[in-house]
Amino acid sequence: MTMLLEVDDLRMYFYTRDGVVKAVDGVNFTLDGGQTLGVVGESGSGKSVTAMTIMQLIPMPPGKVESGRVLFKGADMLKMNEDQVRKLRGNRIAMIFQDPMTSLNPVYRIGQQIGESLRLHKGMGRKAAAARAVELLTLVGIPHAAERTKDYPHQFSGGMRQRAMIAMALACDPDILIADEPTTALDVTIQAQIIELMTELQKRTGSAIIMITHDLGVIADIADKVLVMYAGRPVEYGLKDDVYYRPMHPYTWGLLDSIPRHDVTAKTELCPIKGQPPSLINVPAGCAFHPRCPYATSKCRTEVPALRDMGGEHMSACHYSGDPGFERGVVECAGVSA
Amino acid sequence: MPDHDHIPHEARDRQETLDAIRETGQPYPPSEEFELHAADSRTLWGDALRRMLKNKLAVAAIVWLAIMVLLAVTADLWVPQTFGSPTKIDTATIVKQRLIPPSAAHPFGTDDLGRDIFARVVYGARISLAVGILATAISIVIGLMLGALSGYYGGLIDSAIMRLADVFFAFPYILFVVALIAVLGKGFINVFIAIGILGWASIARVFRSSILSVKENDYVDAARALGASDVRIMARHIMPNAVAPIIVYSTMSIGGAILTEAALSFLGMGVQPPTPAWGLMLNDAQNFMETAPWMMIWPGLAILTTVLAFVLLGDGLRDALDVKMKD
Repeated sequence: MTMLLEVDDLRMYFYTRDGVVKAVDGVNFTLDGGQTLGVVGESGSGKSVTAMTIMQLIPMPPGKVESGRVLFKGADMLKMNEDQVRKLRGNRIAMIFQDPMTSLNPVYRIGQQIGESLRLHKGMGRKAAAARAVELLTLVGIPHAAERTKDYPHQFSGGMRQRAMIAMALACDPDILIADEPTTALDVTIQAQIIELMTELQKRTGSAIIMITHDLGVIADIADKVLVMYAGRPVEYGLKDDVYYRPMHPYTWGLLDSIPRHDVTAKTELCPIKGQPPSLINVPAGCAFHPRCPYATSKCRTEVPALRDMGGEHMSACHYSGDPGFERGVVECAGVSA
Repeated sequence: MPDHDHIPHEARDRQETLDAIRETGQPYPPSEEFELHAADSRTLWGDALRRMLKNKLAVAAIVWLAIMVLLAVTADLWVPQTFGSPTKIDTATIVKQRLIPPSAAHPFGTDDLGRDIFARVVYGARISLAVGILATAISIVIGLMLGALSGYYGGLIDSAIMRLADVFFAFPYILFVVALIAVLGKGFINVFIAIGILGWASIARVFRSSILSVKENDYVDAARALGASDVRIMARHIMPNAVAPIIVYSTMSIGGAILTEAALSFLGMGVQPPTPAWGLMLNDAQNFMETAPWMMIWPGLAILTTVLAFVLLGDGLRDALDVKMKD
C-alpha cells in the first residue's frame, strides 16, 4: 500500500562561498491521508527547508538535492519536470506561509488571490473562481465573505489574513497541506483559533497536514506523528504519544523542558536548553547535539548516531536511547516548586 | 487545579481560547478583529490619486501639460486661421511682417522670416511632446524587457545585460545621439529612435533593482507554491509591485528627451526647417538676441516650463505611489 507522501533520506545541501551548508541531512518520514505530522526544531534546524524541498521551491543553485526521494502517491517528485511539479503545487500539495502580513500580494483583492489557484489548476473562469472564493472565505470563518473578498490585504488583520491564506491553500482541495509556522506571527488567542480552524477543516476535507513549528505546544493537540529535527538531521520521530510521553532523545527532553506548562507555578523555573544551535556549515563532529547535551560521552563526540527504530515506528538518533537506565533526568534548573 | 494566576501568559491564553472554542462548540468566536472593517474600501491606485491631488505643484504641472496637449492637438483648427501659417514664408509681405515685437495681432511677435512665433511655439509643442513621449516609450519597452530578464533570472543573463548598460552609460550621451543620427539620417522619426535607444539603460537599471527587492517578498514564493509559472509570477505578481519607480522615472525622462530633442534641433541634427521645433527656433534666434529677444524668450520658456512640468509631475508621482507616505 503506497503512502500519500513518503520522504526517504532527503538531503538538501547549499553550496555557498563559505562552504557546504547541509540544511537537510537525511530526513525520513511517511504521511498517510488525513494524518498530521508535526515537524519541530529550533530556528535553523532545517524544518522550512525540508518543506520547501518537497515543494521544490528552493533555488538551485545554490541548493542541490544530494540524495533522497519524495514519493507523492508513489511517484518521485524530485524526478518530475517543472511542469509536472507545477501541476501538483497549489493543487495537490498546498502551502501556508509563516507571515500572513507579507504572503499576500498587496495589489490584488483577497478574492482574486484565493481564486488564483482555481483558475490555474481547475480552469475556472473569473466569475466561477470569485464565487468559490466567497465560499472558501466563509469556510475559514470570515463573516460577510461576499464583501470581504473585494477587500485588499491591507484591510485585513493578521488573523484574518492567515485565514485568507488557509482559504487560498484549501482552494483546490489539496491532499497535503504544508503549514510553515502558520501561527508564529500571530498573537496567542488568534493562534488557537487558527489551529482549531485547521483541525476542523482537516476533519471535513480529509487532507493531510505537515505542521512545521518551533513550538511543541502548538502541535500537542493536533499531531498524529512528530518529527524532531536538529541541525538538519532528524533526531526523533514517532507517534505523538511516544514522542511526548516516552521521549528517547536528550534533545527532545530539552525541548519538552523548555515549554511553559499549565501545571507549573511562578516558583518553577523554565529550563531552556543551554547554548546555541550549531552553524550548519560547521556542524560538530559526531552527534550534532553533543556540545549542548548534558549526557554526552566521548562516543558522542566522534560517532554520528544512526536513527534507530526503537519499536513501534518510534525512532531516535541517540547512541544511548533504549539503554536501560538512560532516562530523562530531573534537570538542575527545574527547581522544585514551593 | 493549578494556580492560574501564575501560569505563563502565552500558554494560558492559548489554552483558554482553545477550551472556550471547544466548550461553546463555536469554532470561530466573534472577536474584535472582525470589527476592524475599514470604513471605505480604497484601492492602492485610488489612494495614490488622492495623495497626488493634494500636491499643489503636481496639480499645477498636470494642468500645464493638459493645456499644452490641448493646444497642440487642436492647433490645426484655429492657429493658422488666427495667426497665420507657422511655416509658410510670404515673400510679398516679409519686409513689413518680420521681427514685429509682441502685439495684439502677434502676441509673441514674429521672427526674421515674418512668421508668427505663437503659432510656431504651439506647433513646436507637437514635436516636443511627441518626441518626449514616443522616445521614452521606446526606452521603456527595451528597458523593461531587459531589466525584467536581468532582475528575475539573475546570474549570467543579469551580468551580460548590466555590462551592456554600463557600456551605454560610458558613452557621452549627446555625442552618441549625434553619431546615431549621422548613421540613421536626419529627421523626425530618427530622433525618436536615437533618443529612445539610448534611454533604455537607466530604465533597465531602475527596473532591475526594483524587481530584485520585490522578488524577495513572501507573496512571490506563495505564488510559486500555488503553481504559478515564471511568466505569470513575473507579469502578475512582480511587475505591478515593481512598476512604480518606472512610472516616476519615465515621467522625468520625458523632460530629458524633450531637452535632448531641443539640443539636437539646435545643432541642426534633429527636426529640419521649416518644421517648427523649439530647439530650431532657438537656433534661428541666435542672430537676433539683442534686436528681437522675443524670438529666443518664447521657445526658451516653452522648453523650460514643459520640462519643469514633467519633472514636477514625476516628483508628485513618486510621493503619491509611495505606500509608506500615509498622508
